[in-house]
Amino acid sequence: MDLSRRGFLQAAALTAAASGLTVACGGGSGSGGTKNGKNLTLWYWGGALSDKVVAEARTHFAGEAKLTVASIGGDFKQKLTTTLAAGSSVPDITGIKGEDMASFLPNAARFLDLNDLGFKQISSQYLGWKTKLAQTSDGKQIGFPIDIGPTALFYRADQFEKAGLPTDPDKVAAAAKTWDDYFALGTELKKKVPGTYLVNNISSVFTMAVGQGTKRFIDKNNHFIGDQDHIRAAWTTAIRPYTLGLDAKINDNSWNAAIGKSLTTELGAAWHALDIEQAAPATKGTWRVCAMPGGPANQGGSYLALPRQCRNPEEAFKIISWILSPANDARGFTDAAIFPAAPAAYSMPAMTGPDAFFGGQKIIEVFGPAAQAIPDSYEAPADAAVMAPYMTELTNVEAKGKKPDDAWKDAVSQARQIAQRQGVS
Amino acid sequence: MPGRLGGPGPARFRPRRTPPAGSVPPRRRGPLSYWRQYLAISPFYLVFLAFSFFPVFYSLYLAFQHWDGLGTMRFVGLQQFRFLWKDPVFWLSVRNTLVIWVLSTVPTLFGALVLATLLHSVRRFKGFYRIALYVPNVTSIVAVSIFFGAVFSDNFGLVNAILGMVGISPVPWLSNPWLIKLVIALLMTWMWTGYNMIIYLAGLQAIPTQIYEAAKLDGAGPVRTFFQITLPVMRPIILFTVVISTINGLQSFSEPQVLFASNAANANLGGPGQAGLTTLLYFYQSAFLNNDYGYGAAIVWAFFVLIMVLVVVNWRIVQRGRKS
Repeated sequence: MDLSRRGFLQAAALTAAASGLTVACGGGSGSGGTKNGKNLTLWYWGGALSDKVVAEARTHFAGEAKLTVASIGGDFKQKLTTTLAAGSSVPDITGIKGEDMASFLPNAARFLDLNDLGFKQISSQYLGWKTKLAQTSDGKQIGFPIDIGPTALFYRADQFEKAGLPTDPDKVAAAAKTWDDYFALGTELKKKVPGTYLVNNISSVFTMAVGQGTKRFIDKNNHFIGDQDHIRAAWTTAIRPYTLGLDAKINDNSWNAAIGKSLTTELGAAWHALDIEQAAPATKGTWRVCAMPGGPANQGGSYLALPRQCRNPEEAFKIISWILSPANDARGFTDAAIFPAAPAAYSMPAMTGPDAFFGGQKIIEVFGPAAQAIPDSYEAPADAAVMAPYMTELTNVEAKGKKPDDAWKDAVSQARQIAQRQGVS
Repeated sequence: MPGRLGGPGPARFRPRRTPPAGSVPPRRRGPLSYWRQYLAISPFYLVFLAFSFFPVFYSLYLAFQHWDGLGTMRFVGLQQFRFLWKDPVFWLSVRNTLVIWVLSTVPTLFGALVLATLLHSVRRFKGFYRIALYVPNVTSIVAVSIFFGAVFSDNFGLVNAILGMVGISPVPWLSNPWLIKLVIALLMTWMWTGYNMIIYLAGLQAIPTQIYEAAKLDGAGPVRTFFQITLPVMRPIILFTVVISTINGLQSFSEPQVLFASNAANANLGGPGQAGLTTLLYFYQSAFLNNDYGYGAAIVWAFFVLIMVLVVVNWRIVQRGRKS
């Protein structure tokens, strides 16, 4: 091969240009821009924050910083992970979904410790169990709580009346105090009003029952505890409605059509009220809500976090603590059904009004106490992955009639395998 | 093509011989002297290098690591593959993928061939039929999946409603393990029949009409003509579609993902009993939902090997009998 000098130079220039291009693309990593920048970007997904409050924040802080807001669609966690890993174009403020928080905690160094910026002084305004879920074992605070998802029991009061059951929320709550009471109530209901079911599927019961405890699938010492009594008990609870014939076995997208028709009760978080309202507008006024059997659990809810590359941490913290102040948090509830993580908001007029969908019931009287009674639990980074096989096996029981005991054994062995893969001992 | 090097005459008829002594050898031009041409085609290769070539080999590297996507990578050797070997869900996903692939590819290719033959003999509205049959392929998979999900819904679907009118009790399309696969296969058949039909149609139009005329004179009916003439002549084209369908069909991902992701309690696990969990869906779930990138990479590389084996087997089967 006769490589001429000219050709060599051209090739070299091309290579240099190409590598220059890559360097330029990867630029801006590391410390990431200047501190005390005036430009701040905020990433969140549709419905994570009240758009009105965010828009007001932009004008409110206009003199100090220019807040650029990006509504990120699709797989939010994936996009955030990729951006953080690449180290460039990282947002200054970002949302993190509650269910993803655990998986970000091992990489807490990618985020700023909010305690350094003043969260410590105001943290008492927010629910302790929620705050703790975004805390590393050495006390670094990664996430600023936006909202939570306290769960309750939704039910059709008119159907309850037809069945001769109590309809008043307090009385229903008393009649369905434990899971067994609740299933007994369901059996009664089914006898009187045929064709109705108590729960949409048993995986949802399992999720709730696990969430009512303080321990989940992996303990703080990174040991797998998914085979222990607390999980077994949740499993047994989930199987009960199946054996009693109270399970609607809805594992596809037909929930929308079933709710309010064959589904007369529903276990769900506060934000779930909106789903019911949208899926079954005709049942307006017939629904009530009361405390969940066996105590409240949490489902969903998110955080705001400041990535390490944040260009102006002090200003960014000022903005998020303004957006998430109890008063603005309460407005999030009115605007976007975001249930505040700040208990002070629960007594504000925005939240204490009667809800027409629930026949004028003041639903905060159910969700407010529930929010504060949610147990402190530890959620390991691999928790969601380890939980998945239990859900799968529960659908196996529903769809294929698999024996519950076999399903339990398979779920545990599968969960143990996933735990092992994820580095849990 | 022969003129590209500037040599006179068609190159393949020129005898190779050493140039007579004393003559000046023609100056050979190195590949680098074509730098302008290379520069012109370089964007594709640069993009390919950055977004296809590099990720492919990076994923091979990842298959030997434990990585959560953000933290430090840890070299674990063949551990991911050992996990894979013992993972019943992986094997379940491979079985699912193969069943769905067979259930969709066979009717797709057969249907495409039949439709192409029919369309080939149609005289009026040719363009309309072609477009009508090709449209499913350019519709968004997501939209089609949502549509199928609604049509085949267990409790409130259109199909079950129609069955109910005739007096047949509802069929659990989206919860029975076999019916789940059938619905996904049906969806893929619906999407890909038109695509293969266009390819077959192109092939059919290249067959000289004299052969058919001769067959007609000899008294061959349409069915016999199809099996004795059309099929043998089309063999290379069928081979091509079989290979392409193998690669496409084994990569089914969006169909089960959209059909079953709406169930928030069990998102992306492939529906009840994981009956719709294809290998690529399992890969996606492992890597991007469980943040287990090393394991995800191991899954796809193991699956790559499997696809290669299947393509070779397919090739062999379709090629067989060609020599006889």
